Amino acid sequence: MIAATLALLLALPLLVWTAAIFDRIGTGRGATVLGPLRSGAALLLRPNTPTEAPDRLNRLLAPGWYLALALVGLSVVPLAPGIVASDLSTGLVLWGACEALTVVVVFLHGWSPNAPLPLIGAYRYVAIGLPAMLLSMFVLIGAALPAQSLSVLAVVEAQRDLWNVVRQPLGLPLFMALGLAITLRGPFDYADGAELAGGTSAEESGPALAMWQFARAAMLVAFSGMAATAFLGGHLGPVLPGPLWLLLKTLAVMAATVAAGRFFARMPPARMLTLLWVVLLPLSFANLALVGVTVLP
Amino acid sequence: MTNVLFLAFSALAIWSGWRVFRVDSMVRASFQLMVSFIAVGLIAVLLAAPYIGIATIFMMAVEMMVMALFMVMFMMNPAGLNPMMMVHQHRFSIAAGIVAFGGLVLAVLLSDLPSQPVPEGADVVRALGHELLGPSMLIFETAGVTLLATMIGAVVLSARSGRYGDSDAGSVPPGLTPGGEPAGRKPENGGGHHHHHHGGH
Repeated sequence: MIAATLALLLALPLLVWTAAIFDRIGTGRGATVLGPLRSGAALLLRPNTPTEAPDRLNRLLAPGWYLALALVGLSVVPLAPGIVASDLSTGLVLWGACEALTVVVVFLHGWSPNAPLPLIGAYRYVAIGLPAMLLSMFVLIGAALPAQSLSVLAVVEAQRDLWNVVRQPLGLPLFMALGLAITLRGPFDYADGAELAGGTSAEESGPALAMWQFARAAMLVAFSGMAATAFLGGHLGPVLPGPLWLLLKTLAVMAATVAAGRFFARMPPARMLTLLWVVLLPLSFANLALVGVTVLP
Repeated sequence: MTNVLFLAFSALAIWSGWRVFRVDSMVRASFQLMVSFIAVGLIAVLLAAPYIGIATIFMMAVEMMVMALFMVMFMMNPAGLNPMMMVHQHRFSIAAGIVAFGGLVLAVLLSDLPSQPVPEGADVVRALGHELLGPSMLIFETAGVTLLATMIGAVVLSARSGRYGDSDAGSVPPGLTPGGEPAGRKPENGGGHHHHHHGGH
């Protein structure tokens, strides 16, 4: 348990760096490998911007909470058989709690500066983030059904014969919608979009912004680890050791998430809301019903 | 260790519960309440009820987020950052508070509380599932349907396509007789329901 926690904490900065590199590939900004470090260092040297009558406490804490939620979410991912930082019988529910609190934290990040653009980003994000989170919970219940357990260790073990991505093909694509939403990217980036000049981050600069971007990349790592575990068999795989398999699958999901963020177009929030409630949520019910029928004795 | 954590979480729950009534904004009040519930959820985890504890945190995060949003929407306090008074009906609330506190204290002091430590390695989540979908099925489902009805009601109240027409097209209730005057309260200063010009009065 302590070894797993240390391994995660040591691996996280490198994985965050990798996520930032993925985010930079193909954007034409150059300096793919060292660019993220340079931008981060430059941000750390700049001052934070003050705003008029902000909620100081939440403005200060929101980036830290975001990072903490990414870490707690990552802690339920088993690195090898029986080795997990948070050995909980309800690991999937803990991950769900992290998702839900992420929506709260992103809202507070936009609400606390007391400025128009961040506030619009915050309210839009809540409207989109909540249904995205809701459908991910149905998808995760689908992943838990074959294991007959909410423990993430059991979910991995239940995929020894067949990965969930084959058994329930709708699961991973629907879960990716959540990944895009909680990492504020692509078609689900209603919080920090460019059309709001950075949305909830519009008033941020300096170390606070650096921390927020680090946390956002850490959340991408946590989501990719969780998706790899719940649908791609986690640490299971032939020849190579378990943690290496988990790393490879996590990187694959991470690349797919970044690519999906670039590939899919943004929609007006109202249309996205309709898509989420009318198309994607019923699809997650259908997925759950399908899984339920297949695991009936 | 458990005792220290229990006291810390209890103190956090009480302190943030008190702050709910002392802060000056709907959003702050909602999230103070959320912190209070999270502390209670963590106490449930300490009490060997991991599902109930973590599910409480999960549900409260969603519910308080929705509550903050709806309160800002219906209270017309833009953004929820504007200062406002969070308490009203002082005398009644003081009396109700004292009665509730006294009642709960009496219940704690007078009832014979069981002491049944959960055995190590007990399958508590499975047992809870069997309880919820077995003997407690009726209560569980009644609460579920009630919540669903509440949600539908909230959506109907806040949706653009209201009961009497689109909310942004000057919706009016139907007349008491066919084609007659619209039912319901009339504006004080004689302005009709249908006019779209704002200001100028």
